[in-house]
Amino acid sequence: MKNSTLVFRSLGIIIFLAGLAHLFSFGIDTSDDAPTPTIETNAVPVEQPEAENPTEKPVANTAYNPETDHLIGQWKVAYNTEDFKGAIVYKIKKESKVFNAYTHQYQDENGYAEKAKGSKALTITSFNGSKGKGIYNIEYEGKQYEVDCKIAQVDENTFTLSYDYYGYGDVETWKRQ
Amino acid sequence: MIDFLAKKLDWLDVHHWFYIFNDLSLFYIIIPFFVLELIRYAYLKRLDKDLVLDSIANVITFGGFFLVEVILGILAITKVYYWVYNNISLPHLELNWATVICCVLLADFAYYWEHRTMHRIGIGWATHTVHHSSPHFNMSVAYRFGPLDAIMPVVFSLPIVMLGFDPILVLLSEVFVQVFQTLLHTEIIGKLTKPIEFIFNTPSHHRVHHGSNRQYWDKNYAGILIIWDRMLGTFEPEKEKVVYGISQPINSVNPIVVFFHGITRFVKKLGQIKGFSNKLLAFVKPPDWMPKQ
Ligand SMILES: [Zn+2]
Repeated sequence: MKNSTLVFRSLGIIIFLAGLAHLFSFGIDTSDDAPTPTIETNAVPVEQPEAENPTEKPVANTAYNPETDHLIGQWKVAYNTEDFKGAIVYKIKKESKVFNAYTHQYQDENGYAEKAKGSKALTITSFNGSKGKGIYNIEYEGKQYEVDCKIAQVDENTFTLSYDYYGYGDVETWKRQ
Repeated sequence: MIDFLAKKLDWLDVHHWFYIFNDLSLFYIIIPFFVLELIRYAYLKRLDKDLVLDSIANVITFGGFFLVEVILGILAITKVYYWVYNNISLPHLELNWATVICCVLLADFAYYWEHRTMHRIGIGWATHTVHHSSPHFNMSVAYRFGPLDAIMPVVFSLPIVMLGFDPILVLLSEVFVQVFQTLLHTEIIGKLTKPIEFIFNTPSHHRVHHGSNRQYWDKNYAGILIIWDRMLGTFEPEKEKVVYGISQPINSVNPIVVFFHGITRFVKKLGQIKGFSNKLLAFVKPPDWMPKQ
């Protein structure tokens, strides 16, 4: 077989297979499994200021919602595992329609604190004021995993975050800082 | 179907599936199968000292190969892969069924070319000849590796990372291909049904690859799919009874001799070649190449 034939056939195979993968990753809109970011607001007021004053608040989603937005702020979680003993302070922000938690500060057992990288640790995709769901980024053997999690409000200043993955799970208590 | 292929997967799931095939298959297929082969050898009165020692040598060469693989893996592979992935790659692909399937197929295609290269360039054959040097053909032969066998796959799988596939997925896919290949090293299974023999690499096709009969040289390089050989002109069906081994047998079951015999022969050959550029050429020219006087 001619070398040029080998090259053309090989390139054809590679382009076909890589193209297919890219098509399925970026070309196809799978609307049903895309995480539909819904903050289940059971309150109407968000719409009202917009109606009264449309120029001032163009993005209704970011308007303050007293039912859910007490999540915004700093939260501290204590850990006592083999890898890490201490606490992490997270900063929850409301971005577009969801709440995102970013690492803010690490504290060791002795309370010594160190600034964190600010990487995204949690996305709360839905929250109705007492219960919610989200995606939690956990690290396992050096690799990041996105794991479904549940959050439940305990009181004004506490909520729990739980996840379970092949028996590899935990319940974390998030305390307001 | 399209929705299914594009459905996002979780890394833990994907790891888990690969783990079941890549790692656990040793216990639920390979070892039981090897035991079966030993029973068959005993029944055919072919279970002799040479066969047992040959099998032990195979496993020991795997130890040597694995050591190189681990050192290479820790030192370079993950770092190089991730550097390529983060700096010179197409947009990173999502993790879905389509990506996993395409990655395995690309890893299989890369395996074809890597394997073909191992046979057709001097330094490649110097290490891969170890795998072909056993006069027997059973599961343990699949573990017979040469000292540099771990290096070439890295070179051939980096382009897959450049296409946007996650480095870990690429590594898992490579192992997947390798494990599939392992299962083909047996005389127990004859020819399978026509459609399977047409599409997939089978024990029959791979016996041909290990043949020292002249018409079987440098044929059937495939990992999982034999169609690569059919498309690229290297397919040969099993007709004549296969005589296993290489054209110049090593007649040794000493694991050290087995492991290094390709390199030793290659170094000897380099000594016979005159001129520095000719010596360099010997690395990339076909194994039977000799400069014209
Ligand atoms: Zn080979």
